[in-house]
Amino acid sequence: MRRTAAAAAIALAMLPALFPLYWMVISSLKGPEELQTVPPTWWPREPSFGAFAEVFEAVPFGTAFANSLLLSGVATVSVLVTSVLAGYVFAKHRFRGREALFWGVVATMFLPPVVTLVPLYWLVSSMDLADSYLGVLLPWLANAFGIFLMRQFISDVPDELLDAARIDGAGELRIVWRVVTPLLRPAVVSLAIFSFVFYWNNFIWPLSILQDDAKFPVVLALSQLLNYSTSVQYQNVVMAGALIASLPTIVVFLLAQRVFVASLSRTGVKG
Amino acid sequence: MAAVAFLSPAMLVIGLFTVVPIGLTFWISLHEWSMYTPLSEMSWRGLGNYTDLVGDDGFFTALGNTALYVALVVVVTLPLSVALGMLLYFPRVMGRGAARAVLFSTYVIPTVAISIVWGGLYAPDYGPLSQLFGAWDPTWLSSPDTALAALVIFHVWQMTGYYTVLVIAGLTQIPADLYEAARIDGAGFWRQTAHVTLPLLRRTTVFIGLVAIINAIQVFDPVYILTQGGPAESTSVLSFAIQRAAFQHGMAGQASAMAFTLLVLLVALGGVFLAAARRRS
Repeated sequence: MRRTAAAAAIALAMLPALFPLYWMVISSLKGPEELQTVPPTWWPREPSFGAFAEVFEAVPFGTAFANSLLLSGVATVSVLVTSVLAGYVFAKHRFRGREALFWGVVATMFLPPVVTLVPLYWLVSSMDLADSYLGVLLPWLANAFGIFLMRQFISDVPDELLDAARIDGAGELRIVWRVVTPLLRPAVVSLAIFSFVFYWNNFIWPLSILQDDAKFPVVLALSQLLNYSTSVQYQNVVMAGALIASLPTIVVFLLAQRVFVASLSRTGVKG
Repeated sequence: MAAVAFLSPAMLVIGLFTVVPIGLTFWISLHEWSMYTPLSEMSWRGLGNYTDLVGDDGFFTALGNTALYVALVVVVTLPLSVALGMLLYFPRVMGRGAARAVLFSTYVIPTVAISIVWGGLYAPDYGPLSQLFGAWDPTWLSSPDTALAALVIFHVWQMTGYYTVLVIAGLTQIPADLYEAARIDGAGFWRQTAHVTLPLLRRTTVFIGLVAIINAIQVFDPVYILTQGGPAESTSVLSFAIQRAAFQHGMAGQASAMAFTLLVLLVALGGVFLAAARRRS
């Protein structure tokens, strides 16, 4: 009885979570006339994929998609490398001021990005990098969350393992690459996913630093698409664009589901 | 040696693009600068931008909107994510894992994309929410009385799954024998919740509260996409007001004064938070 009630409550909670996603899909499949019917239809009468082609005609969406892959891909790789290296030092090396430096880095996680937006624009444009890929990327090459996460996980690696490698004559870089990183696989995968999704979705920084729409990431192209067609009859095109822009993040998330669920279920289940 | 070499890339990036800009924000806030002219054309204003802020209704509107937005988000999100976390943790029901994944998925989708979808949901006449709640004649984003609340609903929808997962992680830390003992003492579900679950979940809920405040203060994308601060400035929150002042109106000095004031307020808030946490423990 109680279990049935719980199952019903869970199902009920799923409805509002899924409905906007459902609406995005069916709106992208509707035709211009159907979009203007009041009351709205809850299932497309004549589903068509035409809007998906129109997205690419209205704005340079294909280029934007490639730009986003490039920007978030490079940022993710760089964040992984810088975070593992810095996390290793914060976890396993002793030096004066280590804790102060580490917590100083962590504190920057709480800083709203808008606080540093204007000087960041100034810094990047004074390097003559405004409106360039590199300009977008520079502040994305390392982040405090990654360093924090990696330090937490590397602290759990036993010192004996590192000492054994040292006795075998391994250098520090070799220890990080051959001993530490393989043990961190779930953490590294989680950080890769978080970073990729975070930079793919990031809007305020590219919006502020880029002018040339050939360099726009997909979220900026979406906002451009919205300006192109505010009228209801283009809603299918806008929704198709939103769907395409969301796909990589959903795919990455589904691929990572296993790691994600594993880290949750490892801690044991109670009834 | 290796330590220095390993640390420097990360420290260089964070130092140059996060720490240095904090100081620069204050420096720029003492000047008049239009963003698109060279920095040499910046002119000194002293505290002029700050005295302007004091007399600027727009700034106080944005400050008030931000405070209201953050308060509403936290007040709704915390109980909701705790309730959902308990619902998805305790009962042994098929499909719990899938349900967690569905809830979490709203968090990974680009805010810009999903804001656009919510624009469609909230649309007058053509929108499904206007249809469903037609009896109340809801105005959603089109009236100054409801627009901020509509954005809060969107934010809660987007973020609750993430906080629910944090709650579930916290629940796994509570030893099962505590529930066993409570049951032997004859405590039912509600008393177990009040005397075991909630007290032992304290650290998690405080953490979620903190993260929720930070995330809500940063809100920008849905405001930019859906309302541009309107109608009648009712959704102009600080993040949006600062970005607009700098990048749309070319008033970098004023924008930086707002940004630095926000930073000072946050540091003060953080200090109060830390002091309270320390007194408790």
